[in-house]
Amino acid sequence: MNIAVCVKQVVDTEAVKKLDPASWRLDRSVAAVLNPYDEYAVEEALKIKEAHGGEVIAVCMGPKKAEDAVRKALAMGADSAVIVTDDALAGSDAQATSYALAEALKGVQWDLVIFGVRSTDGETGVVPAAVAERLGVPMLSTLAKVDVDGSTIKVHRETEQGYISYECPTPAVLSVIKGINEPRYPSMKGIMGAKKKPLETKDAAALGLDTAKVGSEGSKTRVVSGRIPEPRKAGTKIEDDGTGAQKIAEFLASQKLV
Amino acid sequence: MSTQSGILVVAEPKDGKLANVTLESITQARSLGAGPVSVVIIAAETAPLVAAAGRYGADRVYVCESPEAAVFRAGPFTDAAMAAVKAADPALILCAGSADGRDVAAGVSARLEAGLLVDITGLEVKDGGFVATHPCFGGTVIVEKEATSSPAVATVRPNVFAREEAAKDPEVVTLEVEFTPSGLLAKILEVVSENLGIVSLEEASVIVAGGRGMGSADNFELIKTLASELGAAVGASRAIVDEGWVHHQYQVGQTGKTVSPQLYIAAGISGAIQHAAGMQTSKCIVAINKDPEAAIFNFADFGVVGDALVIVPALIEEIRKRKAAS
Repeated sequence: MNIAVCVKQVVDTEAVKKLDPASWRLDRSVAAVLNPYDEYAVEEALKIKEAHGGEVIAVCMGPKKAEDAVRKALAMGADSAVIVTDDALAGSDAQATSYALAEALKGVQWDLVIFGVRSTDGETGVVPAAVAERLGVPMLSTLAKVDVDGSTIKVHRETEQGYISYECPTPAVLSVIKGINEPRYPSMKGIMGAKKKPLETKDAAALGLDTAKVGSEGSKTRVVSGRIPEPRKAGTKIEDDGTGAQKIAEFLASQKLV
Repeated sequence: MSTQSGILVVAEPKDGKLANVTLESITQARSLGAGPVSVVIIAAETAPLVAAAGRYGADRVYVCESPEAAVFRAGPFTDAAMAAVKAADPALILCAGSADGRDVAAGVSARLEAGLLVDITGLEVKDGGFVATHPCFGGTVIVEKEATSSPAVATVRPNVFAREEAAKDPEVVTLEVEFTPSGLLAKILEVVSENLGIVSLEEASVIVAGGRGMGSADNFELIKTLASELGAAVGASRAIVDEGWVHHQYQVGQTGKTVSPQLYIAAGISGAIQHAAGMQTSKCIVAINKDPEAAIFNFADFGVVGDALVIVPALIEEIRKRKAAS
C-alpha cells in the first residue's frame, strides 16, 4: 500500500511570531519545525508500510526552506518526497493550498493520503477534507486508529463521547490526531540516509497549476485588517492562608459565575 | 451584482438535538438583518431538529432526511448541504466549527470554489459584504477577514455568539438529494459511546482543568468532581496527557482543543504558552498554583498561590455548601 503523507513546515510555537503589517502574513523567517501533528501522520504511514509493504511519499507545499521539515519526514523513514514551491504560491489560503496539493497528489502513486489533523500555525483543519473533495475520494478525519486489511481500512473517528468506526475501501484521504501513535525519533542512520533519498521539487508550471487560483491574489479570502489585542492583564492574586477556596467561591459569586 | 441573499446555516445534529453552535449561528445570522435565514438539516430523523430551528427564528428550513445521514460522513453531508445551497442561493454559508462542520465547509467551499473563513468569532456586514473576525496564534493576533467570492463559507467557533429564541413558523422545504457514490463508500460499523453525559469541552460555558500540580492520576478525580459540581467540562494540560493520567480528548492547548468558556478554572497548571494558546480567550480565568511565579498568574483574573490538592477539595465543599444554602 503506497501512502502519501502531506506535511507542512510551521513556525515553532516558542518563537515570537511576527506579522508583516502590510499583508498581515506570517513572517516565516523565524525558527521553523515539522508541524507536530504531521509527525503522527508520518508515523502512521510508516507503521502501515512496515506491516503491509509499499512506499511512503512525503508531499509538502511551502517555501524552499520547508525542505528541512521534509528531511525530517525522510529521516523518520519516508522513502521519497515532493516539494511544491513557487513564489506564485506565497500567501495561498487553505482552499488555494488544497487545490495545489490535490494537483501535486495527482502526480504521485498512492492508495492513502494521510494528513495531520491541522497545522499549529494556520490551525484551519480544513485542507484535508478540501483535498479529498478535489480528488473525489472519501474523507475520514480526526482518526484515533487506522487498521489496514488488504485494500480496505478500518478506522476509529474520535467523537466527544467515544468513537465511530468506519470501514472504507482505498483510495481515501485520512487525517489523524495526537495519540494515535508515538512518533519515532529519527535515528542517526535515518538522518544521514535522508540526505540521499529522492526529493523532487515542483513549481506551479510543472504541476500545470492555474496561477489565478493560488497565491494571495488567487485566494478567495483576504485579510482586511489585523491587530495585536491588549495582552490579558493579571488580576487579583492572593496567597492561600486557608481561606483560598472560600475567596475563589466569593469571587465566582461576585462575577455571577456560580 | 450577485443575486445571492441571506444566510444558510448548515445544522449540526447532536444527540437528537441541534448543537449549540448551530443555535448560536442562527441567532447571529438573524441579528445581521442580511436577508432570510435558512437552515439545512441533514439527519435520519429531522422533525425535532426542524422544530428547534423554528424556535430560534429560521425563516426557511431545508430538510434532507435519509438513513444515510444517521451518522456523519463528509460525502453525503456535503451533497445535502450543496442541494440546500442550490435551493437557497445564499450569500453566506455558516457551518459548525467542529470536526464535522469543518469537513462539510471544506467540501462545500471546494465545490463552489468559494472563499472559506475558518473559526470565526465575529461576523458583521460592511459595505454589503461580510467581514469575519478570526483570532490566530492562540488569540495573540486578531484579524478581520473577508471572502472575495459570493457565496462565502465560514465555520463558527462554538460558544462565542449568544443564542436567543425567536419563535417563527418557518417554511419547510424537502430536498431531494442524490448522494455521490464515492461519498457512500465509507460504511459505518459501530458508534461507541464510552463517556455518555460528558460535557463537551468546546461548547462548555465552564471548564475545570488540571495539570501536573494535581500530583497523580488518582488525584485528578478531584478535578472531575469539581467539574461535576459546577456542571463543567473537564480539561487537562498537555503534561498530564503525555504522562497518561487522562485521555488526549481532555487536552486544552496547542495540540489539543481551543476553548472560550465563560469561566476557566486552572488547577496546578503552570500556563505555558502552548496551554495559553488554547484557553486565553476564556472570559474569566481562575488559577490555583503552588508556584507564585507560574505564568498563569500573568493572565488569570483571580489567582490563588497555594496547593491545588488542598484548595480544590475545599472549593468542592464550598460550592456544595453554597448550593445547599440556595
